[in-house]
Amino acid sequence: MTETQELEQLVKREYKYGFTTDIEQEIIPPGLDEDVIRMISAKKNEPEFMLEWRLSAFRQWQKMAEPEWAHVHYPKIDYQALSYYAAPKTQEELDAEAPESLDEVDPKLLETYEKLGIPLHERAALAGVKGANVAVDAVFDSVSVTTTFKEKLAEAGVIFCSFSEAVENHPELVQKYLGTVVPQGDNFFAALNSAVFSDGSFVYVPKGVTCPMELSTYFRINAKNTGQFERTLIIAEEGASVSYLEGCTAPQRDENQLHAAVVELVALDDAEIKYSTVQNWYPGDEEGRGGIYNFVTKRGECRGDRSKITWTQVEAGSAITWKYPSCVLKGDDSVGEFYSVAVGNNFQQIDSGTKMVHLGSRTRSTIVSKGISAGRAENAYRGLVHIGKTARDARNFTQCDSLLIGDRCGAHTFPYIEAKNSTAQVEHEATTSKVSDDQMFYLRSRGLSEEDAMNMVVNGFCKEVFNELPMEFAVEAQALLAVSLEGSVG
Amino acid sequence: MKRTGLPDWLSDALPEQAAAPNEIAQAARSQVESIGLPGLRDEEWRWTNLRAIQRGRFNAPSGVGADIEPGTRLPLDNPVRLRFVDGVFQGVPDDVPEGVTLTALADADETTRAAAFSPKPAPSVDNPNDALVTLNTAMAREGVVVDVAANTVVERPIVIEWLDGATESVMSHPRVLVRLGQSAAATLLEHIETVGEQPAWRNSVIVSTIAANAALTHIALGLDGESRLTTARTFAELDRDARYHSYNIQLGGRMIRREYDIHVGGSGAHTDLIGLMMPRGKQLLDTHTRITHAAADTTSNEHYRTIADDAGRGVFKGRILIEEDAQRIEAYQSSNNLLLSDNAEIDAKPELEIYADDVSCSHGATIGRLDQEALFYLRTRGVPLAEARGLLIAGFAQEVIDELPLTDLRDWLTGQVEQRLGERSLPADSDA
Repeated sequence: MTETQELEQLVKREYKYGFTTDIEQEIIPPGLDEDVIRMISAKKNEPEFMLEWRLSAFRQWQKMAEPEWAHVHYPKIDYQALSYYAAPKTQEELDAEAPESLDEVDPKLLETYEKLGIPLHERAALAGVKGANVAVDAVFDSVSVTTTFKEKLAEAGVIFCSFSEAVENHPELVQKYLGTVVPQGDNFFAALNSAVFSDGSFVYVPKGVTCPMELSTYFRINAKNTGQFERTLIIAEEGASVSYLEGCTAPQRDENQLHAAVVELVALDDAEIKYSTVQNWYPGDEEGRGGIYNFVTKRGECRGDRSKITWTQVEAGSAITWKYPSCVLKGDDSVGEFYSVAVGNNFQQIDSGTKMVHLGSRTRSTIVSKGISAGRAENAYRGLVHIGKTARDARNFTQCDSLLIGDRCGAHTFPYIEAKNSTAQVEHEATTSKVSDDQMFYLRSRGLSEEDAMNMVVNGFCKEVFNELPMEFAVEAQALLAVSLEGSVG
Repeated sequence: MKRTGLPDWLSDALPEQAAAPNEIAQAARSQVESIGLPGLRDEEWRWTNLRAIQRGRFNAPSGVGADIEPGTRLPLDNPVRLRFVDGVFQGVPDDVPEGVTLTALADADETTRAAAFSPKPAPSVDNPNDALVTLNTAMAREGVVVDVAANTVVERPIVIEWLDGATESVMSHPRVLVRLGQSAAATLLEHIETVGEQPAWRNSVIVSTIAANAALTHIALGLDGESRLTTARTFAELDRDARYHSYNIQLGGRMIRREYDIHVGGSGAHTDLIGLMMPRGKQLLDTHTRITHAAADTTSNEHYRTIADDAGRGVFKGRILIEEDAQRIEAYQSSNNLLLSDNAEIDAKPELEIYADDVSCSHGATIGRLDQEALFYLRTRGVPLAEARGLLIAGFAQEVIDELPLTDLRDWLTGQVEQRLGERSLPADSDA
């Protein structure tokens, strides 16, 4: 197949999850000022400290300028033209309590999940059917509409709920930890999020508890022209451990949608948090129109000694990805890990990577980043490894590999390395290449089709990262990769 | 971001008449006045603070010191000397090899002067990151043009002696143009030395064009005194099958920032960038390199090493840009760094920016201390700790020195590095 044909086939690939669920929504008119923030806070019945916190964030945000350093291009966003709050009309009913059976859940919502291809047992879990083993805190647009498995988790002492519920039921925890990892004024998008965040997930794992199941949340962006501002806070107390899965898809859109989430992780002594993401938001059409703008701030703090935070991500969607899941390694002997596969096709733009900030002694970090560019995509790894003055015997290993499929895409590496302690050991290596003709020839001579051969090479390229994903995600990720790159070779 | 513009003393020093053709000089002048000097918020300057210059109050050279000689005699075979004292060109020597034409910049014709101020890749006059080149364009009055005729192989090294600090608080903005004709070959050596104890700032620019099949070897040897501030930029434009070999050895200075912009624009062209920086005391030694592969079938090889001691800081940024349609490129870059003290700092940013697919590019960067096993081995052989450390550090530096093309200079440099290492005191953590 000729290259033109390949490209044509590639760009004609329809967005698999392109649909909209028709649920009536309650939306605040577009625009952002202190009144809007007061309204959001009031609608959510938040305590005074939350309103003050939001307003302080808003005041900082007003003084900030949108960052321009990332290797991405997009038309200027008019923040006054966005609507900052959207909740399904049925919120009160759905918010009340986890449904007893499927019948009690809004059928439109179930329809959405069905189209999303959420595995049956997860849909069952969503509906509260006994025996299912994955808890789903479903975020439909901005307000959590249903939460399941609370009892089983409650038995273990784990709190897993929507952020609103956490503010209502555990204000002391929220007040203690909110903004301690990502402060309000951290960056432009984090400040915006802090001012207007609608909802998100809250996880608290008490001392010595290993969370009995993997926690999972499905994010959906649904209402037209509403920014989505999620806020996630995960706290693992001393000796606790938890694995959290996040995955998402979104309906097809003409207009760009802004997503500026903030995720904060706190790991105390000997605690372990594993945060895995499969991201497949609408990447825009063949001309690069539409698609989600994903401007996310994710940061974990290894606050305690011997704590560990692992970020694993598979980034396949979004028109623009601006995302740097980071670890601040404060505790002695703490460990930070980052495993990432980022796939860009058509006109997608990705500027993603991680920051490892070593402050404690004998802290270790590992970065494995695999970037794949096809079509006219731009894929950049941007990372920071910082070894502070206090970090004795710190160790970092970084590997960034880029794979180019087609001659109209770009692959870039922008690593920053800073070392201020003489005992530091930092190793960074990066390679960029295309799939070699030798590899393809070998596989083709074994009777594999060109496409199968390419998939095999690509899967092999990403294997180190897939190995880090929880089982069900690993399967999903491989399928996603194959779909994403469909038609990119003849 | 709000920019403060040039400090008054610098703005007042902008000359009415510069060496650059009027139009170019005027544009540079008006831009740099509003942009001012780069600051920490400008991406290319995030690790290098120009406060010492910003607050410096430097003056134009007074013209004294014409009889000044360099304190260091380099072991060179009959070099052609182009001497600059406080940035003032001391005139074309009498004895010039055949095929080489030397012209003071002020005496050059308009076309040549235009070439000296139109490097490729072109820096942009309104980009704060390039503000120092723009400042040089607005300020430059002194300089020299080196022309090497086609098919001429110049055996004698052409040495630019930057002798600064003859007068107090002097600044200079010299501009050098080097042009190699087809299949020509030459060696250019920058001998950088402070001749007084006075603070001085040199902001120099070298523009070189290398025609098809020609080869330029460019050695920069920084032996500056502790009060020197240098901001220097080199442009090299390579035609088909051309070669540019750069060796950047920085041992002295208070703050040295060197930038290399290499435009690999003809197929079959190749460039090597080799560097060694050894900051100690409170020195900041910084090198930024940018290699642009603009043509297919080109190669580059970059190898930089930094040894940071005391409260010294080493900064390295290396960028490899491969343009669309520049296929079949091989580019390799490595940055290896040694931290000898807890007060020292190393910052590295090895970048790849790639828009073509048939490429083989890689970079590696390491920061670390001395190999503990190697140290142990030497100590079990009865080598005292300080000596064992010295051997390993010298070995680390030697791997770069060994790449230098001039044998005598190589041996001399080995001696210099050994002498420096002999001066270093044992750090507090003497068990490491």
